[in-house]
Amino acid sequence: MSERRPDFDERVGDELEAGERERLLRAHEALLSTTPPPELSRKLARPPAVERRRLVLPSRPALRARPLALAAALAVTAFAIGVGTGGRLSDPGAFMVIPLSGTAGALGASASIEVFDIDTAGNWPMEVSVRNLGPAPAGRLYELWLTRDGELTELCGSFLAEPDGTTTVLMNAPYKLKEADAWVIVEQGSDEVLLTT
Amino acid sequence: MERREPTDGELISRVGNGDRRAFEELYARYARAVLGLALRRLRDRERAEDATQEAFVAVWRSAATYDPGRGAGAPWLYAVARNAITDGLRRSPQPTAELDVDRPGSGPDPVEQAEQEWTAWRVHRAVETLPAHERPVIELAYWRGLSQSEIAGTLDIPLGTVKTRTRSALARLAQALEEDEAG
Repeated sequence: MSERRPDFDERVGDELEAGERERLLRAHEALLSTTPPPELSRKLARPPAVERRRLVLPSRPALRARPLALAAALAVTAFAIGVGTGGRLSDPGAFMVIPLSGTAGALGASASIEVFDIDTAGNWPMEVSVRNLGPAPAGRLYELWLTRDGELTELCGSFLAEPDGTTTVLMNAPYKLKEADAWVIVEQGSDEVLLTT
Repeated sequence: MERREPTDGELISRVGNGDRRAFEELYARYARAVLGLALRRLRDRERAEDATQEAFVAVWRSAATYDPGRGAGAPWLYAVARNAITDGLRRSPQPTAELDVDRPGSGPDPVEQAEQEWTAWRVHRAVETLPAHERPVIELAYWRGLSQSEIAGTLDIPLGTVKTRTRSALARLAQALEEDEAG
């Protein structure tokens, strides 16, 4: 096999319009100026092991001591709603309501997640209403996550808080709802829990 | 209908949300480019491989800081990878390694070298995203020096197909490079 620099005209022919020819010529020259990338060894065949973001639980002893069992929370909540409303929710199609309360990182904040019947894609539409949670610094977003064993596992959605601290947004929880053990709200990119079930 | 591939920026945003599948996809796109950059800087295969892993750990950790409004994903990744490689070099300098940014007056012009590295990064990344039937045509032509008839023989395809695929691949590469420039 021969070693040679590829000839542009030979490679692309002479049927190209001038503009297109110029574009391809730039790509051709960029290739000529570059040595081939190295092949990956077995060591690099897979990406490095990375940790999921571990949650920083708030400094409230009650929260530390109490396991955040979503299944139990759902059962209790659904029961309470059933008793309080005679089995009917205020919004047609609503399946359950999950309360969240602020941690030391967001004292006085609270939220409720109204989960509606599962949609045809198998996800759970929901309406998240947050109170007393002002905008995050530098215009950052807040995120609602499902968690398992103290790790953020499924992102349900992000939102910008209103200046008056009251925000209502529609989101969609993944179908893996039953695998989670809590819902939390964190600031985007942060592991500190601000609100939790 | 052809499925639209997520952009680098979309993948980085997903990585910022802890999405490991997006991280793996980003790794598949950029692992060779990062290793190539590390090799040019460190000139030692083992250390370059370590630096490549460290660079991707840095990507995982800092992806949440990526702001799509401030630019495309490729330059952001390049900056994170380059910084991680340089940081590693500063931690454990070796006589074989080149820390050109800190050695003015020796070796190639740092500005010129930075441009070469950035061009190589973009080209490697662009080639990585070519369709599977076009990529070998480009690699064999430009990085193995094969003639078109040799490529046709190697890949067992007609000569006309080699020409068609070459033109198509160059057009895709041109578009990818233009998108990088547009930022």
